[in-house]
Amino acid sequence: MSTKLCKLVVLAVRAANCRHPRSITGSGQVVLTTMGPSGVFNCGAPSSQSRAYSLDSLSSGPGRPSLGRSAQQPRVEGISAASALTQRNLSAVALQGQRRPMCRYDLLDIGDVEENIIRAKACKLIRHFIVDPTMAELVAKHLGPGLEDTKTIIFECNPGPGVLTKTLLNAGAQRVVALEGDKSFLPDLQVLENRLDGQLEVVHCDFFKLDPIGSGSVKAPTMFSDKLFTDMGISEASWTDDIPVKVIGILPLRNQRGMLLKMVYALFERLSVYRYGRVELNLFISEKEYMKLVSRPGDMMNYRAFGVLWQMACDITLLHKEPWHSFVSSKQCRTVQKGKIPNDHMCLVRLQPRADLFSSWLSPSNAGTLLMMVKQCLAKRKVKLVDRLNLWSPDSGSKLLEEMGLPEDILTGNVFPEEYLRLFQLMEKSQEFTQSWLYDEILENTQREGWA
Amino acid sequence: MSLIRICAFSKCLYRRSLFQRCIPPVTHVDYCRLCFGIRNGPVRHISVLVLGKIIDLFHTLFFLIVLEARIQQLQSDGILDIQHVNVHVLKAPKSGKGSGSGKSPKSTLREKGDIVKPKQTLTKGAAKSQSSKTQPSRWLQKLSQEKTNKIKREQVLQKKNVKEMPPTVKPQAGLMTPGRSYKTKSAQQAPDVQAQSQPSPELLAQAQENAEVEELEKRLSLVSDLTSSASTERLLGDREPAVCSDAQFGIRSYLEACVFSGDLERANRFLLSQHRILSRRKLLDVGMYNTVMRIWAKKGTLNQIGRIFILVEEAGLKPNLGSYCAALECMGRSDSCPRVVSRCLNHLEAEGLSLDNLFGQFVFRQDERDMVLKAVCSVRPEYQPASDYLTPDDRHPSLVQDLYLQREGHHYPKLDFTREELQERFGQQLEVEQGCTVTIDSVETVRPITVHIANMRTLLDELRSQWRKTLLAALKERKMILASTKSRDYKLNLYPYLCLLDDKEYVDIMIQSVSNLPLSGESLKVLARDLGNRVYTKCSIRQKGQDLMVEKLGSVYSGYTDLLAKDTEDCLALPREQWLKLEAANPSGPTLQGEELQWPYIVSVELGTYMVDLMVKNLKINSDILNPAYERKLIPILYHMYTFRSTRQVGFIKPHPLLTQIQQDATETRLTFDSYVMPMLCPPVPWISAKYGGYLLSPTKLMRSTDGATQHERLLERCRGLHPVLDSLNQLGSCAWRVNGPLLDIIVSVFNRRGSDKLGVPPPLSEAPRVPHFNANDPAFTSAEKAHMKKEVVKAKKKYSEMHSLRMDALYKLSIASHMRDKKFWFPHNMDFRGRTYPCPPHFNHLGSDVTRALLVFAEGKALGAKGLDWVKIHLVNLTGLRKRSSLEGRLEYANSLMEEILDSADNPLNGRKWWMDADEPWQALGCCMEIANAVRAPDPAQYISHFPVHQDGSCNGLQHYAALGRDVIGATSVNLMPCDVPQDVYSGVAQQVEEFRVRDAEKGLKIAQVLEGYISRKVVKQTVMTLVYGVTRYGGRLQIEKRLKEIEEFPKEYVWDASHYLVRQVFSGLKEMFTGTREIQDWLTDSARLISKSGRTVEWVTPLGLPIIQPYHRARNQVLKHDMQDINLQISHDDKERPDTVKQKNAFPPNFIHSLDSTHMMLTSLNCYSAGLTFVSVHDCFWTHAVTVDTMNKVCREQFVALHSQPILQELSNFLLLKYCGHTKQTQDTHLQTPIDTKTNTHLPLYPQINVQALIKNCSDS
Repeated sequence: MSTKLCKLVVLAVRAANCRHPRSITGSGQVVLTTMGPSGVFNCGAPSSQSRAYSLDSLSSGPGRPSLGRSAQQPRVEGISAASALTQRNLSAVALQGQRRPMCRYDLLDIGDVEENIIRAKACKLIRHFIVDPTMAELVAKHLGPGLEDTKTIIFECNPGPGVLTKTLLNAGAQRVVALEGDKSFLPDLQVLENRLDGQLEVVHCDFFKLDPIGSGSVKAPTMFSDKLFTDMGISEASWTDDIPVKVIGILPLRNQRGMLLKMVYALFERLSVYRYGRVELNLFISEKEYMKLVSRPGDMMNYRAFGVLWQMACDITLLHKEPWHSFVSSKQCRTVQKGKIPNDHMCLVRLQPRADLFSSWLSPSNAGTLLMMVKQCLAKRKVKLVDRLNLWSPDSGSKLLEEMGLPEDILTGNVFPEEYLRLFQLMEKSQEFTQSWLYDEILENTQREGWA
Repeated sequence: MSLIRICAFSKCLYRRSLFQRCIPPVTHVDYCRLCFGIRNGPVRHISVLVLGKIIDLFHTLFFLIVLEARIQQLQSDGILDIQHVNVHVLKAPKSGKGSGSGKSPKSTLREKGDIVKPKQTLTKGAAKSQSSKTQPSRWLQKLSQEKTNKIKREQVLQKKNVKEMPPTVKPQAGLMTPGRSYKTKSAQQAPDVQAQSQPSPELLAQAQENAEVEELEKRLSLVSDLTSSASTERLLGDREPAVCSDAQFGIRSYLEACVFSGDLERANRFLLSQHRILSRRKLLDVGMYNTVMRIWAKKGTLNQIGRIFILVEEAGLKPNLGSYCAALECMGRSDSCPRVVSRCLNHLEAEGLSLDNLFGQFVFRQDERDMVLKAVCSVRPEYQPASDYLTPDDRHPSLVQDLYLQREGHHYPKLDFTREELQERFGQQLEVEQGCTVTIDSVETVRPITVHIANMRTLLDELRSQWRKTLLAALKERKMILASTKSRDYKLNLYPYLCLLDDKEYVDIMIQSVSNLPLSGESLKVLARDLGNRVYTKCSIRQKGQDLMVEKLGSVYSGYTDLLAKDTEDCLALPREQWLKLEAANPSGPTLQGEELQWPYIVSVELGTYMVDLMVKNLKINSDILNPAYERKLIPILYHMYTFRSTRQVGFIKPHPLLTQIQQDATETRLTFDSYVMPMLCPPVPWISAKYGGYLLSPTKLMRSTDGATQHERLLERCRGLHPVLDSLNQLGSCAWRVNGPLLDIIVSVFNRRGSDKLGVPPPLSEAPRVPHFNANDPAFTSAEKAHMKKEVVKAKKKYSEMHSLRMDALYKLSIASHMRDKKFWFPHNMDFRGRTYPCPPHFNHLGSDVTRALLVFAEGKALGAKGLDWVKIHLVNLTGLRKRSSLEGRLEYANSLMEEILDSADNPLNGRKWWMDADEPWQALGCCMEIANAVRAPDPAQYISHFPVHQDGSCNGLQHYAALGRDVIGATSVNLMPCDVPQDVYSGVAQQVEEFRVRDAEKGLKIAQVLEGYISRKVVKQTVMTLVYGVTRYGGRLQIEKRLKEIEEFPKEYVWDASHYLVRQVFSGLKEMFTGTREIQDWLTDSARLISKSGRTVEWVTPLGLPIIQPYHRARNQVLKHDMQDINLQISHDDKERPDTVKQKNAFPPNFIHSLDSTHMMLTSLNCYSAGLTFVSVHDCFWTHAVTVDTMNKVCREQFVALHSQPILQELSNFLLLKYCGHTKQTQDTHLQTPIDTKTNTHLPLYPQINVQALIKNCSDS
């Protein structure tokens, strides 16, 4: 018991002292904002103006104890709660048919909510849709201030009836690309595309099926990212450039983890969409998956490789939490309450790749080994790190740990993502490890071959 | 039973101190009780007399004491629970209402209990015992809790006893046996006082149900005699499933392991500790007590046996044959006085057991039987065990009735060996199996041994002996730790499993597994299971040696050779019958049909994991062993890591690249195999029951099943009508083989040169594509190029390890073949759960690829005869895959026109015109060419002695069966069931149909249909058509077609996916058009299976030959094996206590049913061929025989097909399903299942078009 306590104390101390190995400028911090308990929305009655604005304010509510850097105030993206409110009021007014002064065009009609719901429900695949206009506005707001000013392109995944699309355009987005995977929604979107002057492009493509593994002819909505990006006229960019694309979408419920893994692999190896720079993802993911994503060392159940990798690579910000029933789902899908993690919300999470991720010793070419190392370490969280290291290169474990200033008997589940990164740096430097089999191992496909 | 207890008891009294030392805590309580019983003895005595239950005074005395102890125990328990009982009594009337039998004049015990008022102290005992019966665990718990109040309790007890004496005895009689054993499933035979006098409502209901089932059965007299009786047996069996839980399974095998390793102390301690903990006591059954009794019997310590009898009593169990057997054995061994023996015998008979049964049914080991007999003879000198335990079973399925009952015209074939030869071979085989492993020469030619190779070999040898030493030391140390750790006694640990063999043998097994590890590693689970199984096999063989089985086997086998050898008289007995007769005539010694206790799956895996862990931790080499430039470090040669499949992670054991390199460089010349991998050197032991047959010593299962699945075994054991199936397996196993030497030489030469993918000889690794090397940091490549190259590397590595495993597989096969080159050998057969038969040796057998098939010829030669040569020629054309639509004459003509090519191929196989290489089955074709050449050049081809097997393929047997079942004329025609001038080819038919669809679509402008022009051939659709009847889905069908299309080089690759998608749709609709009845039957089968599994049961049926079949698909259950290295998650999907997997049950039923019919047909053919004296071998639907007997075989095959389909197969299936799944549930409210099947089966049976089956079937062999 006492040893356990000791370990906890050590962990806490390390957590407090833990510095990112690299110099951190500005946004290089993991920002974990947690929201207060969200209000209960009734999706059937979207007109409920009583919706408490204070709830979705970006200040941190009295909610859960935040993880990791609890001491810091969550950064608010330059918008105070008050200004958010004014904007909201503006758009609420705009809804009633008034013109916004800065918009060049008439505001788009969001359409009848009931009708949108019916259209969404007609979808044959299991999908969730944003139909509630207020929620759409909220999401649009989270996509950043000054949508109208930036050159950042917005990829909207599976817009469905197009509520969010229109809201984004109404908010002044300069360029929205609607990636719709379901043919049945395409005609309406295309009509909208034609009405506008290049602000909207519609592509029959499923963002989550980009770059399939395996071979064979590729048919829409499956696509290769280079085709998509070339078609859009986006060229490869340096990693440190500004964010070229923001993606907004709802991660399909099926195989969320697999998808997140696939994306983080692509990120580290700079494949797929990440060839074109630091693509920022804004995804609705289930609360359960989110909790795992941001889980911290010591939580042996939930601290998994994919979480560590994402935390290494990205600033993870929780933008908003919304109960499941605010979304319209095309099919009855059960949200099973399994385990202890609450799972009654969808979390809008921003995954913004760090500009300083790659350095002289970590490049896309050797990132594969880092991935391998992290995965091997965290396959079991209650093993000693030194054993793992010795397995890869006998006798070097304790040396490395000493260099890292970590206790000899530390378990793999107690090591911070930053520490793994540093560990990898040391391994890269060391001559012994380059002979290790770890460097020969290649991570095999995480997904099955072919595609559904 | 009481007698033995008395013996033990009296001794207990005298040797109190010893007694207590032996079993310290438990028996203390018992002891008190027993003493107590003595004190109250006389009073009880009278009451028993009053009851008039027991006449013999002498016996009574002993019985009494037992009873007393029992009463005592019950009462003390009851009193503990007095509060609890009162509550119950008050509540009882409410719940008692349901029983409904309150109106009956005699009130049952239960009612007494129910209506008793709390103040009626006299009946309280009864009420108490009643409730204690229903709540056994509660009072058991209390008992253990209140140990502290013992003294107080006893005082109360004493008082109560005086008061409650008379009434308590009465329930006693009822309670003692049926009440408790009710739970332990031996209730049925027990003289059940309570149940007899007043059957409980449940029993009544059960009886009624029984009657109903019988009634139904009478009505359904359509079901043949045997199948129905088999089915009732099973139906009845279902009610009290003899399923033992995993935990029980574990305990039993633990005890057996202790016994085998001679660790008496541990076994005894373990049993006692299990017994002591009440929650675990429930898991024990008589068999486990018997196991321990058996060891004591070997030691001749009767008092220990007596003590266990008490324990059995105490656990509320009833001693069975095994218990008495152990007691008698012990008496025989220790020369007990006849009085004791006769008392024991009397008790045995009083229990309703008989001595004859004991000798007839019991499985004896070592000299147990003789000892028991000795004991019995000491009191009944004239006693002779009845030797008629194999009462010939006259009930045979109607299909084979004539075959069994009228044997006059039969000529069972003899083997071409003398008796001495066979016996000598038996000796050789015995030696091989006792050795457990066989080391043979590899066929990989010794490349000129370079210095490097030589160095590597010595290095490897050194390393191995070093590893051996380390492992041995490590194992010893670990075992010591394991033995000395005071883990609690009742916990199962691995220790006894580590004592089964010599330490050295465990180490050998481990070392062997290191050299067999695939390049890319092996998943921990698989590796562990293999290791565990290997230990099991070895230990099982050892066990037989220990049990003196080998000697007896030798004597029976030598008698058995009389039947087979050519220098003996003809005999009209089947091998199985002969074997049984011989065994009955030779009863002393161990019983050959030993019940081998399979280990629970989890134990095998646990043991294996333990061994893997040992290897991973201890096997090391120096890192500078190959490259002195590296710093010297000891590095492990095996490492444990994870691979990731989607979100799952799989533990893998991989060899270190250094190890792989050393092993590859050394190119070893010797290969080591388990002995059961080799074909047998003597004819296999005939299957005589579900448990015995096959190899001489190596354990073999009659029915293959997934690891740990036991439902098949239980089903087979209960089934009595297995004889035809067993005989058919024996027939298949009786065929002697030999290797086609000249062909082997050619294949080996190709193998050692560069291999050939085209000819199915895997090339060596030197032919593998180089793994591309690139510098990841090279700025010359773009990231996309790097990603691409990375993919290439992965691909190349995958290809490399695939090639390695293919190469090794071929190496094994060829090496075994070369080892067997000049020998004659046999393949014992077993079957899968659908009755398809397989040869047991896994690598080299006639079921394999073209290469292995070509290597095998019959050991016995027969003259070609008049038509033989023609058949060989036709066979050659069949092997080429050409002329599929020609008549036999056409094919023969074609062969004759090719004679020049054939002779050239035979003479210059590798340097000539190589005509044979283009055949579908090139190696078999080459073999055939050589045979033709030899025959043609013989002075008289008709006299030429040919060993060559000629094959007769069924033309898509699945479809044939469907067509015959549905009496489907068009379908039947296309699969050669209808008289036709030219053989029909269903594949070409379908291809044609698809082509028509394609032309239509192409005209409509469908792009893919246009692309496909000219590519639709028989070959493209064949596999899909064939597997469609076996339940291939569109998904699988598409993959098959995709594969075919990829093989066509000219076909544009970018269209493969679309084209395969399009084609599979067309094939499905084409078939639907041709086979209408098929669809209907399939739908009906699927529907039935869906309803059955929806109702929570597993689909079962019985083949027309009486083989019971059960589909082993259940919802997976996870069992986690915790281990330091990794927790292994065992997905157990065969557990029949789990709910069935509806999707699998449903989808698999039609194909499995058709497979079962197909196998039935094969078995029928095999039995009839045997009685006609033919050599007959089957590869599922392809039948082999000598050229001269092809005609006879075809005739038999056709006749049997007709006979099979003359049976009302679907009707019988429907009746069976009704009886099994609906007859049962009539009374319950489960109409959900009942009605649909009722209506489905009765009204929805496909309607037969009025075709005569006889006319329908012209021939079923492709000819």
